[in-house]
Amino acid sequence: MADNHYGGDSESEDDNFNPAPADLSDEEQDANDSSPRVSRKNDHRSSSPVADGDHDEDEDEDERPSGRATKRPRIAADDDDDDDDGGGGEDDEEEEDDEEGGGHRDGDEDDEEDEEDEEDEDDVQHSHRRKRRKPAGVGNLFDIEAEVDDEDEDEADDRDGEEIEDFIDNAHPDDIADSGGMNDDRRHRDLDRRRELEASLDAEKQAEILRERYGKRAPTRGYSDMAIVPKRLLLPSVNDPGIWAVRCKEGKEREVVFSIIRRVEERLGTKNELPITAAFERAGPNSVMKGYVYIEALRQNDILLSLDGILNVYPRTKMDLVPIKDMPDLLRVIKTPSLTPGAWVRMKRPAKHAGDLAQVLDVTENGLEARVRFIPRLDYGVREDGIGPDGKRKRPGIPGPRPPQRLFSEAEARKKNPRHLQGNPQTNSWTFMGDEFENGFQVKDIKIQLLDVKDVNPTLEEVTRFAGGSEDGTENLDLKALAASLKDSSSNVAYVPGDVIEVYEGEQRGVVGKAVDVRGDIVTLRVTEGNLSGQTIEVPNKGLRKLFKIGDHVKVIGGSRFRDEVGMVVNISQDRVTLLTDQTNNEVTVFSKDLRAASDIGGQGSLGQYSLLDLVQLDATTVGCIVKVDRESVGVLDQNGEVRQVMPSQITNKLPKRRTAVAADRSGSEIRLDDVVREYGGQQRQGKIIHIHRSFIFLHTNTTNENAGVFVTRAGNVNTIAAKGGRINSGGGPDLTAMNPAMKRSPAENNRMAAPKSFGPDRAINQTVTIRRGGYKGLLGIVKDTTDTHARVELHTKSKIITVPKADLAFKDKVTGKPIDIYSRGGRGGGGFGGSGRGGFGGGGGGGRGDWPGGRTPMASGAGGRTPAWGGASSSSRTPAWSSNASGARTPAWQDGSRTANPYDGNRTAYGGATAYGGSGGRTPAWNSGSKTPAHDGFGHGSKTPAYGGSGSGDTWGSKTPAYGGGLSAPTPAASGGADWGYTPGASGNSYDAPTPGAGLGAPTPGAFSAPTPGAYTAPTPAPISAPTPGVWAGGWGGDTAPTPAATAPTPGASGSGYYGAPTPAPFTAETPAASGGYDDDE
Amino acid sequence: MSENYVAPGQQRYLRACMVCSIVMTHQRFRDEGCPNCEEFLHLQGSSEQIESCTSSVFEGLIAIADPTKSWIAKYNRLDGYVRGTYANKVLGQLPDEIRTMLEEEYRIQYIPRDGSATEAD
Repeated sequence: MADNHYGGDSESEDDNFNPAPADLSDEEQDANDSSPRVSRKNDHRSSSPVADGDHDEDEDEDERPSGRATKRPRIAADDDDDDDDGGGGEDDEEEEDDEEGGGHRDGDEDDEEDEEDEEDEDDVQHSHRRKRRKPAGVGNLFDIEAEVDDEDEDEADDRDGEEIEDFIDNAHPDDIADSGGMNDDRRHRDLDRRRELEASLDAEKQAEILRERYGKRAPTRGYSDMAIVPKRLLLPSVNDPGIWAVRCKEGKEREVVFSIIRRVEERLGTKNELPITAAFERAGPNSVMKGYVYIEALRQNDILLSLDGILNVYPRTKMDLVPIKDMPDLLRVIKTPSLTPGAWVRMKRPAKHAGDLAQVLDVTENGLEARVRFIPRLDYGVREDGIGPDGKRKRPGIPGPRPPQRLFSEAEARKKNPRHLQGNPQTNSWTFMGDEFENGFQVKDIKIQLLDVKDVNPTLEEVTRFAGGSEDGTENLDLKALAASLKDSSSNVAYVPGDVIEVYEGEQRGVVGKAVDVRGDIVTLRVTEGNLSGQTIEVPNKGLRKLFKIGDHVKVIGGSRFRDEVGMVVNISQDRVTLLTDQTNNEVTVFSKDLRAASDIGGQGSLGQYSLLDLVQLDATTVGCIVKVDRESVGVLDQNGEVRQVMPSQITNKLPKRRTAVAADRSGSEIRLDDVVREYGGQQRQGKIIHIHRSFIFLHTNTTNENAGVFVTRAGNVNTIAAKGGRINSGGGPDLTAMNPAMKRSPAENNRMAAPKSFGPDRAINQTVTIRRGGYKGLLGIVKDTTDTHARVELHTKSKIITVPKADLAFKDKVTGKPIDIYSRGGRGGGGFGGSGRGGFGGGGGGGRGDWPGGRTPMASGAGGRTPAWGGASSSSRTPAWSSNASGARTPAWQDGSRTANPYDGNRTAYGGATAYGGSGGRTPAWNSGSKTPAHDGFGHGSKTPAYGGSGSGDTWGSKTPAYGGGLSAPTPAASGGADWGYTPGASGNSYDAPTPGAGLGAPTPGAFSAPTPGAYTAPTPAPISAPTPGVWAGGWGGDTAPTPAATAPTPGASGSGYYGAPTPAPFTAETPAASGGYDDDE
Repeated sequence: MSENYVAPGQQRYLRACMVCSIVMTHQRFRDEGCPNCEEFLHLQGSSEQIESCTSSVFEGLIAIADPTKSWIAKYNRLDGYVRGTYANKVLGQLPDEIRTMLEEEYRIQYIPRDGSATEAD
């Protein structure tokens, strides 16, 4: 070994000694005849026994066995010792040869002589040989020499070179000095030792050796060595050249190595001969050694010199010496797991099938090709010509949109392209367009480099497609083969601390523990069971699997198609776990590595922005409620009760939940979100309202899990069971009996009138209020939400929402803080009026409708309009007001109410019945008009009051009334101009005349007022009123037209106490039918 | 000019001898045979033999400039072979009959180059 090292030194010394001209001549010679020489050499070397046959043969045999002879025993006996000794011996000899020869010819002769002793038969190194020859003569002599060589000194030359080379390798300067003396002695010793060894072997072995030596053609050099010396004896030592890792361009590693070998060969035998001994790359597709080439040389500087100017390699940027102990690892070769039939692979090519799963059917003998089957992607010749739609020939490399994977269909092939189809229906094997198909699968021989063998990770879904293909239809899913494929990819098993893990392979098999640390592929376990309990052990994750118990709640995390399902473990068989999913109650089977203990339940429940139970718009006319969320799609129950599976992209948008959405149930009472309702007919399903969309309501029930418990029905088809927040629905809509004129007439019932209902959002919402009573008394807040009786108030003082009875609230103006009545008809401007009006009614209301007054205060003003109608019945307290002229002034209010007949039509669908009440009907529109400025103006007008003053008795009511009227109709004078109300002065005249007489009113009142009445009245009222009235009315009022009297009716009633009884029923009865009629219609 | 250099365009035709792992183009195997194993593989001129005894699937490329002195060559058991380019790993298996012939007739212990021998160490 040491010799080797020195050999290098001596070589370089020699170089230095050489005179320059000699070098030149050497080069020349090289240039001249290197090629013939080399080729000749090669011939001799590569095919020596065969090609050169006879004359080489014996030579070779002679040499080689001798080499072997020494080697055999060497192995048999003590390796190292002998090696050293033998090596030393031979070295010395050779040195001596060389030295004493002084010329190679002499050396040759010596060689022949010493043939026996020659031990090493290493390769010839042309360069060395040439160098040694240099001193021998002048340049042109070489040619002659070469010729001579050619003729008859082939092997001599050869051996000469080898020997000399050995000398160079091993020569030690000291040896050179004293070799002459030592030589003889050593040879003898060596020979003796060999004989001894041979003698010591038994006869059989000896025979073997002999036979090996002579009895056969010698193997090419190197083989015997190779086969015998184990690798561990080949480990590098400090005397071996070092290996440096040199950066190079990624992907160009192989080119760099070729460039290096080219440079090596080009400069061979020149003075620039590359000093490196080897170079290699191992940049496979998945290698970690990409971007490096490794150069073996004695000195780092050699590498710099050698690689200078080679493309794509950067010796100057970074160069790392590989530590000696790592050197074997650089060259370690790991056996590629061999493919076995049944294994799963992925295809890289043909491009059409890139990434597709395939199953190995068979592997060729040399292991380089596999027959695989996979699911074809056929379009049956649609794009057969290979010409794209643009008329250009498609480039083969670029796959177009590839057809989906489908099993081969003979029928389709026959239809589309019959002449390319041949096959045998019995075996179901076909050839179509050059491809083979068996049982629907395509079968193909593919080179193994085009297959991905590692990390195949077939999903159960993919594999099932293969399994489904068996003829008898049974699932022949080979989970074992699948498991084998999957086990390769154990690298993607992610254990996290906390996982309960079982060791199923190796020494610690059976150990169960909890992972406490995971580092790389080493998992640290704290053993929880058995003898080792409590200890911490480290195990590679290769032989691990997660351990679950029946009943565990787990989530699928891995690559199976059940990913993200959550469920309960119901069965475990080896590493296959069956679980019952939470969402669908299906049993699914997955590998335990794909599971993790789950803390959450029910799957993810949302997909993007859409989550379970959301209301979504599907198209312009369809909405639906999400009842199922899958991995890539959602199940939507649409308004027609159909469930469809849609992609998120098919959803137009998500409809926000409208808390204020209101619908009317079958009986007309309002229903809102979270109310519990029951279907009237059909299955009588009961559920909580989760969405209201137009007339459809989506309900959720816990009694069934079909469609996640969601069903859809029409609002008109349900009955309220319980309303959220205790909204009063007891009556279930308008009290029909109360509206029935016949019943109304009866004295006992005459003051019963269906409560006016409020429509639209409660106006209290968003109002600023103070709390008048209770623990929060005096605090200011904003109403956020209301029910019939209560309001939820967000306090200003602390951010808190409390629920207080509405009666305890006092409304304030947002800006001024003045108390207001938000329900008053005249708006805030008429606060005074509203207040008093309400007050009045509060009393009055007590008579008949205890329920209403409080909550329904808003009605007060509206009711004011109505008062005349009931006034008579309910209380005398109001009578004064009525008796005054001003009451006449109020008529318009009535009219106003009746006018609303308009809005009534449109709006009040569900509550049609209620609308019939002037009050309520009027309210909506009237409110608006009333609350608007005209109201104020009218009210504030001094000028107007006088006009009424005349009529008014000076009564407070009276004074107000006109204002009121003004508010509505924009003061009398204005009234004429008030196109809004649809009356004209002319009209007023007319209409006035009409009612007045009948009513017997005093002149003044009507004068101011009646004008609007008819005008306003005649137009809208007729519809609701005219129909019913006649019967009731005509009798009472004679010649009057139906509408007019209705309008005017109150006035007289109010004005004259004598008429009192009469009018009341009049309007009332008049309306009732209308109301009921309207209601019916609506229904 | 260098004989062992293979231009990038030709590299797709490279094959590695399954016995000695030398890497050459198919063409060269056919023209010259395997420089190390020709004696018993007889690749020269026989595409069939080349197909079965060499492999186009190999990993790593080693340029051996000096087979006698290189440790890499020694470790890969390439010392004693000619200078040239070798593969680190050759996939594929020698046909059984050739393998048998190698071992019985030539007394050569065949060491597969596909890494399967590593475990033996």
